[in-house]
Amino acid sequence: MSKTILIVDDSASVRTVVATTLKGAGYNVIQANDGKDALSKMTGDKIHMIISDVNMPNMNGIEFVKEVKKHPSYKFTPICMLTTESEADKMQEGKAAGAKAWIVKPFQPPKLLAAVEKLVLP
Amino acid sequence: MTMDPGLQAFSEESCEMLEEIENILLKLEDDPDDSSLINELFRSVHTIKGAAGLFGFDNVVSFTHVTESVMMKVRDGELAVTSDLLNLLLSCRDHIMVLVDIALLDNAALDAETRQTDGQLSEKLNVFLGGDLKLMETETAKEVADVPESDASSGNMQNSNWHISLRFKENVLCDGMDPLSFIRYLSTIGDIESLTTLYESLPPPAQMNPESCYLGFEISLRSEAKKEEIEEVFEFVQEDCVIHILPPHSHVDQFIQLIEELPEENLKLGEILKLSGALTERELQEALTEQASGEVEQPLIGDVVTAQHVVETEVVNAAVEKQKQVKASKARESQLIRVNAEKLETLINLIGELVISGAHTSLLAKKSKDLKLLESIGQMSQQVEEIRNAALGLRMVQIGETFNKFRRVVRELSKDLGKEINLVIEGADTELDKSVVDKIGDPLMHLVRNSIDHGIEASEQRTAKNKPVVGELKLSARHESGSIVIEISDDGNGLNKEKILTKALEKGLIADNQSLTEAEIHNLIFKPGFSTAATVSNISGRGVGMDVVRTNIESLRGQVEVHSVAGSGSVFSIRLPLTLAIIDGFLVRVGHQSFIIPLDLIEECISSQDITQSLYKDGNTIELRGKVIPVIRLADIYGIQVESNEKPNNLNDNIVITHYGSKLVGLIVDELLGEYQTVIKPLGKIFQNLRGISGATILGSGEVGLIIEVPTLANYVQELQQNSFMANSEQQVNSSSLLH
Repeated sequence: MSKTILIVDDSASVRTVVATTLKGAGYNVIQANDGKDALSKMTGDKIHMIISDVNMPNMNGIEFVKEVKKHPSYKFTPICMLTTESEADKMQEGKAAGAKAWIVKPFQPPKLLAAVEKLVLP
Repeated sequence: MTMDPGLQAFSEESCEMLEEIENILLKLEDDPDDSSLINELFRSVHTIKGAAGLFGFDNVVSFTHVTESVMMKVRDGELAVTSDLLNLLLSCRDHIMVLVDIALLDNAALDAETRQTDGQLSEKLNVFLGGDLKLMETETAKEVADVPESDASSGNMQNSNWHISLRFKENVLCDGMDPLSFIRYLSTIGDIESLTTLYESLPPPAQMNPESCYLGFEISLRSEAKKEEIEEVFEFVQEDCVIHILPPHSHVDQFIQLIEELPEENLKLGEILKLSGALTERELQEALTEQASGEVEQPLIGDVVTAQHVVETEVVNAAVEKQKQVKASKARESQLIRVNAEKLETLINLIGELVISGAHTSLLAKKSKDLKLLESIGQMSQQVEEIRNAALGLRMVQIGETFNKFRRVVRELSKDLGKEINLVIEGADTELDKSVVDKIGDPLMHLVRNSIDHGIEASEQRTAKNKPVVGELKLSARHESGSIVIEISDDGNGLNKEKILTKALEKGLIADNQSLTEAEIHNLIFKPGFSTAATVSNISGRGVGMDVVRTNIESLRGQVEVHSVAGSGSVFSIRLPLTLAIIDGFLVRVGHQSFIIPLDLIEECISSQDITQSLYKDGNTIELRGKVIPVIRLADIYGIQVESNEKPNNLNDNIVITHYGSKLVGLIVDELLGEYQTVIKPLGKIFQNLRGISGATILGSGEVGLIIEVPTLANYVQELQQNSFMANSEQQVNSSSLLH
């Protein structure tokens, strides 16, 4: 069975590119608009990895990571954050919250896939 | 040409974002301190930048980056929102739009003009940044020769494998990192020749925390990879892991240093290195001796932990190729489903057919008088109606977006004309058919421009008249008895009655002796060939004016009217049907012919018996609750033979009172048959000149029913009356008052 990756980003085009890339590599993809939406989609089914944007409405990436780390079923789920070079301070905050993997936007799909292969749960 | 789904998404998203940016900037003008607006603005620009970066649209990225930097300063309170800044940001927004368009056009290079704008705007933005603009660091791909020179000078190891030492920290699992994943990934860039697990730091079982990681690994890797490629494997665990990477043929001193730096007992580690093949027995002995004798004064392995952000050109090129292939083959998925308009059209047409067959079936059922069948048909008809409404609902969009486009228009035009105008929008969430929304933009634009140009006065004039200096232009939309009413109102000068009359006479639109009400005079501006502007400005008044507006609106089965009070403003009201495909109609019969009257135009139905006979004498007007209403006998207009035995006298006529605009007119028919779901079928070309009929529909019985277009019918009758009045003006004084 293919692994499931949750992608959280308020930009439809980023989601599309990420989802397309991941699906091409055989992953299942769940998409969410923001942290709140993502949490509502984390319903107990196994999620092998989370990819999340930082700057989002409703619940931003950092708050989202904190929530995930508190979640009994998902606290060990690897999280990879998408960021831009202008968010360096956010990166520190995020790392403190427990999101250690960061990919700087813009990135090329192979880089994303490499990150996923490194992080995704078996 | 079909666009790549990713690009399509980018195109739609950036359009949306740019529109949003424009709206926010305009709102900021009224409320410069609204931090939520500023945040939203920042996020929108940020989103465009992020997405553009994904597609390698460097021009977009670098310009949005500068814009974003300025917005960041605004967000952080370092810059105040001034009108200068807003103007600049608006121009930047336009420029981003150009850049996005160019990027979407095969990511072509910028033309000279665009490049110039780019430079100028960047320079201006730079001023706001106070010169500390962090330009996009162009990441120069530098070749790092990490594969060590193969000089076999003394002290270098014979071993041609990479050596990697990993010591994971305890919290690595809690951070969602699985050490094994990284090692597994390592095998994708080379062969792991040997791997030794170090478990010395495992605490006694009682103290062991199952959520912690206590392991270390010594790995020997045979790979052609460069050092940074190997480092990248462990990019995400850098902070949760002590990593040492030794290239092949490293100097023995480097191993010594490694042994020293790692926490394990030296001898033990040496053994492991030997086991893993990194060191031979002789090398190990040599190393340990050297270490013991303290002769090690070699420079530190400075280059081990460097060069993380180096981009290899060939890697990038390969990546771009791969990206193109992946993107081209995959479809997109999203919460919104975008449907081809044609498919929707087909669906609506099919539902139209379903409505017709439904009507036919229920007619048959009524004839059969089978109660069970009737009951089931009744239920089905209701469901068909629901389906119809749902399907038409698919095409409904909010008018707000169309309205918002005018913010910019108003802002710029008023600036050009030196007028101060505040645009008020009401009922932006009113929904109407997409096809109507698409077509209403032009007429609205004309009316808005007209109000700004001719309606609202210049500031000095307003002050002189004791009016507020800032003029108000209002766009509003609302539902009203099954249709939608859009109003463009201004508090300007109103229409000049005398000017209109003179002009209309001049152009021969009215006769000398014609007496007209104020409303009639105002509505003369919709007549073809009418334009009052003394000079043709570039804003409105090209002479194609209002009659084009009226024609456009009437082609949507709508009506337009103007109400104006001299000195205090005008209101243009546009009344539009909610949809163009299926309407609720009212079925009537005249002789053997069935007609449909749009239900939303009907005020009431009365029987002529209710009318006082005395006021019915000329056959052209009735009195209803103190109001004189003109009536039209459909049988006369369309020359329908009515059998005399059916109608012994006129008293059995039914009158359907309809309204067009704000006026009322009665239609005399033989029989009222009730509400009817009407699928509008256009009339063929040969019937194009038929007055007062907008289309046809197929009735349940298979007959054709003609759909009456009340306004044109009324105008037609008015013209007929006028002609006969002109011919017989001497004898008949009365009949010109037929319609007003």
